[in-house]
Amino acid sequence: MRTETRGMLDRAFTGTGVFSILLLVAALLVILAPLAVRGLKAVVFQGTVEHRRVLLDKFGRGDRAAVQAEIAEVVEARAPVYVMMDRFQSEVEAMPLSQRRKMRAEFQEVRKLVGAILGDRSGGPASLLMRNQYGATRWDRAQVKLQALLFAETWDYSDNSSFGKKVHTPRAERFSGTALEPMFGYFRGNIGRMLLPRRTVYWGFFTDDSFDSHLFGGIWPELLGTLYLAVGAMLFAVPAGILAAIFFAEYAGDSWAVGFLRTCVSTLAGVPSIVFGLFGLAFFIGVVRVSPSKSVLAGSLTLALMILPTLIRTAEEAIRAVPQTYREAALSLGGSRWHTIVSVVLPAALPGILTGVVISLGRAAGETAPIIFTAAVSVGKPLRLWQTLTQPTPALPWNIYNLATEHEAVEEVRHVQYGMVFALVGMVLLLNLAAIVLRARVARKLRA
Amino acid sequence: MKAKLAVLVAVGLMGAAVGRAGDNQAIAVDGSTTVGPIAKAFAEFYMNRNPGVNITVSESGSGNGAKSLMNASCDVGAMSRPMKPSEVKGMEDSGRLAKAHIVAMDGLAIAVHPSNPLKGLTLAQIRDIYTGKIRNWKELGGPDQAIVVISRDTNSGTYECFETLVMNQAKMFEKTEYVGSNGAVRQRVMDTPAAIGYVGLAFTEGVKTVPVDGVEATMDTVVEKKYPIARPLFFYTNGMPKKGTHLESFVNLYKTEEGRRIVEDTGFVPVAL
Amino acid sequence: MIDSTGCRCRPSLVLDDRTRIRQRILETAGRWTLGAVTSLSLVAVLFIILFIARDALPFFRLRGLMEFFADKQWYPSGAPPHFGALTILYGSGLVALGAALVAVPLGIGAAICLSDILPFRARQAVKPVIEMLAAIPSVAYGFFALVVFAPALQERGGLILSVVAVALGAPLALLAGFVAGDLVADAVPEQRRGTHRVLAGFAVTITGLHLLGGLVEQLAGLRIASGTNALNVSLILGIMALPTVVSISEDALQSVGRELREGSYALGATRAETLLRVVAPAAGSGIAAAVILGIMRAIGETMVVWMASGNAAQIPQPWFNFLEPVRTLTATIAGDMGEADQMTGSERYHVLFAMALVLLVFSFACNTTSELILRRSRRKLRGG
Repeated sequence: MRTETRGMLDRAFTGTGVFSILLLVAALLVILAPLAVRGLKAVVFQGTVEHRRVLLDKFGRGDRAAVQAEIAEVVEARAPVYVMMDRFQSEVEAMPLSQRRKMRAEFQEVRKLVGAILGDRSGGPASLLMRNQYGATRWDRAQVKLQALLFAETWDYSDNSSFGKKVHTPRAERFSGTALEPMFGYFRGNIGRMLLPRRTVYWGFFTDDSFDSHLFGGIWPELLGTLYLAVGAMLFAVPAGILAAIFFAEYAGDSWAVGFLRTCVSTLAGVPSIVFGLFGLAFFIGVVRVSPSKSVLAGSLTLALMILPTLIRTAEEAIRAVPQTYREAALSLGGSRWHTIVSVVLPAALPGILTGVVISLGRAAGETAPIIFTAAVSVGKPLRLWQTLTQPTPALPWNIYNLATEHEAVEEVRHVQYGMVFALVGMVLLLNLAAIVLRARVARKLRA
Repeated sequence: MKAKLAVLVAVGLMGAAVGRAGDNQAIAVDGSTTVGPIAKAFAEFYMNRNPGVNITVSESGSGNGAKSLMNASCDVGAMSRPMKPSEVKGMEDSGRLAKAHIVAMDGLAIAVHPSNPLKGLTLAQIRDIYTGKIRNWKELGGPDQAIVVISRDTNSGTYECFETLVMNQAKMFEKTEYVGSNGAVRQRVMDTPAAIGYVGLAFTEGVKTVPVDGVEATMDTVVEKKYPIARPLFFYTNGMPKKGTHLESFVNLYKTEEGRRIVEDTGFVPVAL
Repeated sequence: MIDSTGCRCRPSLVLDDRTRIRQRILETAGRWTLGAVTSLSLVAVLFIILFIARDALPFFRLRGLMEFFADKQWYPSGAPPHFGALTILYGSGLVALGAALVAVPLGIGAAICLSDILPFRARQAVKPVIEMLAAIPSVAYGFFALVVFAPALQERGGLILSVVAVALGAPLALLAGFVAGDLVADAVPEQRRGTHRVLAGFAVTITGLHLLGGLVEQLAGLRIASGTNALNVSLILGIMALPTVVSISEDALQSVGRELREGSYALGATRAETLLRVVAPAAGSGIAAAVILGIMRAIGETMVVWMASGNAAQIPQPWFNFLEPVRTLTATIAGDMGEADQMTGSERYHVLFAMALVLLVFSFACNTTSELILRRSRRKLRGG
């Protein structure tokens, strides 16, 4: 083959390699970007007066006087809506029967949408569920609902060869000639005055309890539950992992028994996470009965088993990386072997071990499958420390799944789902960043 | 010496913690995702009234509810189907008694994408779609598009209800997609013009519900027992809950005026008292 | 200073007999204690196998092996029930194959790039990217697959696939053209080389682009009925398996010493030839181990497939149709555990453990194979 061809093939080869790296980076960006951007929107958004009302009523936060002034303002702005609705109500009563029935059904829909935007009518009967008491807390959701109020969505099925097309008909037309007709125009023109949207930075999203199955409030119970589970898993796994690593690195020879043990560790690393879940259910809850049912304790134990191999591996590597001269020096000073390990080798290996611990912490926080059967519930309060021994907890990974697939109003809590993913991924990536920094420092120290 | 003391203190604390948790301030609800919204709203409402009580709700499927109740790992099993004889027997074998409370009624609405021109289906047609006999919307007078059949996962009470009320034990079409919850069925149907699915009445926003045998799926038709695919929803407890306990008042919430309103607000049908 | 024996260590090199014996005893005891703690993993593995097998074997006793492995009907709650797991085994296999198709070329390409092409600085920058890909929790991947990717595939699936096809295919066609031109030019007499090269290269490139255009046209017209399908999860699982494949193959490539590479370069080989003909064969077994472990990761993953695979227990028609929904072992366990009544010990409960056992055996086999391969290659490299 000609030299040029070979050169070209070589460049193509190089290009392919670089291309695959670029693809890898692109994949990371494509996945992280929407999660980050939309996740941030759970915290930074246009909040309405309803949001500030919730904060004041449920958490006692915010400037009471200012919020009350705002409420007075919006009540005034909303009053004409209710006047028009009341007038229409009495008009309906006077209609002939057939028309009355039709109008009532349509009016019911309008009333529901108005309720969804503005919340309970002050002075009217109070609803029991928070989702009916308060209106739209987020301006983007309010806009969506406003569209639904202004335009009824109907479908045109006249083309038989394909699916129907969406047609928006102004609701005002349906109520033309009635007292309700001007309400739609009023809504369109005054929605801002009725809700007072304002740029809001809601850090409480991470530290507030949730209300009415995550339609209001934050994700504190999930965050706390995740922390409990991850830290609990480390409590069990770290001592065992480090001791095992010391054994492998310092004591174990090359016998078949040690080889077998090593195989066991790597087998444990390869067990699918869902199998850990089944095992945790069958063993920790079914046989050992660490708790009568799902609990943080059972979940932590299961997670601890899962991260044990990673811990052993990283700790062993770190211990092996400590130069042999350290050990020889310590031994020659008359220290016993154990003494040498504890006072010389482990401190030197500590940053490396910490790297492994930090990475495992992230892994334990993010795993879902092992806690489905052992620790996670959809709704629960944030737990006190002692309650973790007996009670289950909501946790970020499980609740992301739960809210994204099982919630009754998936669309309404989309921002919460993104916020949870943001919190979880952020937490795990920060931990990993810490590990990277740690490792860089170790590398520098070893080089120096 | 110090270490021993520490261990003693730790054990003591643990004991105290276990003792504390035992005084029924915690109620665990486990089971159906369909009953989930009611259970969650009840829990929220009840915890609001009684701040000392922690009620946890797991949505893991009806069968899991029964199993947890059997294992005594929950206090209330939420189920969207009655207990099977095997489960009742399992309860008895472990010295417990299954007591059913019908908290609400629910209809299974047949959901299609709003762009679907379909006007109505008969029970037989639904069965044919789900057994794969009808595979294209063309056969039902719609556009020429393969039907995407969506079902709840086989682990759900909703699936079993559909199986008994509609399928008559006929086998599901092998291309049926299974999803884990009502919300997921709704989501898939909303996103997929050619899809059909079945969901509880509380999960119909954003999809088009199709009349079955000429009857719309609404709260009224379910109450009047006109709608053919309707079912009761259950809370199961171990025997009758003791009078005066939190468990008793929580389970009986559905009988109170507030409870009935919550049931209605979450999109289900309160039972006639 | 106080050591573990609790006695004061004198800074003296001569130990009296008592201390020495005491130290020896403590040393042995410590060693055994450590060994015991280490055996925890052994105990855990044994217990896991024991517990899964204990609940899995009754299924085979009740229903037999044939139904599980050969029956295509999965109706666990039917009357009578069918527990044919063939479709589910197939689903797991299909998505693992898909994931491998994504992860293997990309992963090995990236590993080569990391070990032999990129300068040190760039390598330091890329490593964290791979670590981040490995760190993102599976439920976040699942959420992305379900909420972002599935609707995108459904609405603009044709477009997405055609863009991918063009991005991969166009450079390939161009390259093929150049190479063909050179090959033809080699075969003809000196004076007509120029025109022949241009003509041949042009012809091949055009043909390639034409074929690509046909493919794109096909793809663009494609309507994906449901975005939660094998393609979706294959891609995501592929990305999830990438870090495993990249890091292990990179290790394998690195462990092939400088001498081999330098020898090859000295003989006048290009980098591509060196890597493909010299380094890759030497690192081959390590790369094979990486692929095996990557596939293992894809098969064991739960959340992504549970959320985004569609969960239909079917064998797609035709068999490689990645646009159809499939059901996998892990998703079935996660999803069906809720209904399987444990107390009454039904077949429905045991069948899930049978699936877990299959997963366990599979991962055990993968692990052992990769370990054997790695150990042998290490010995070979050390020996060579």
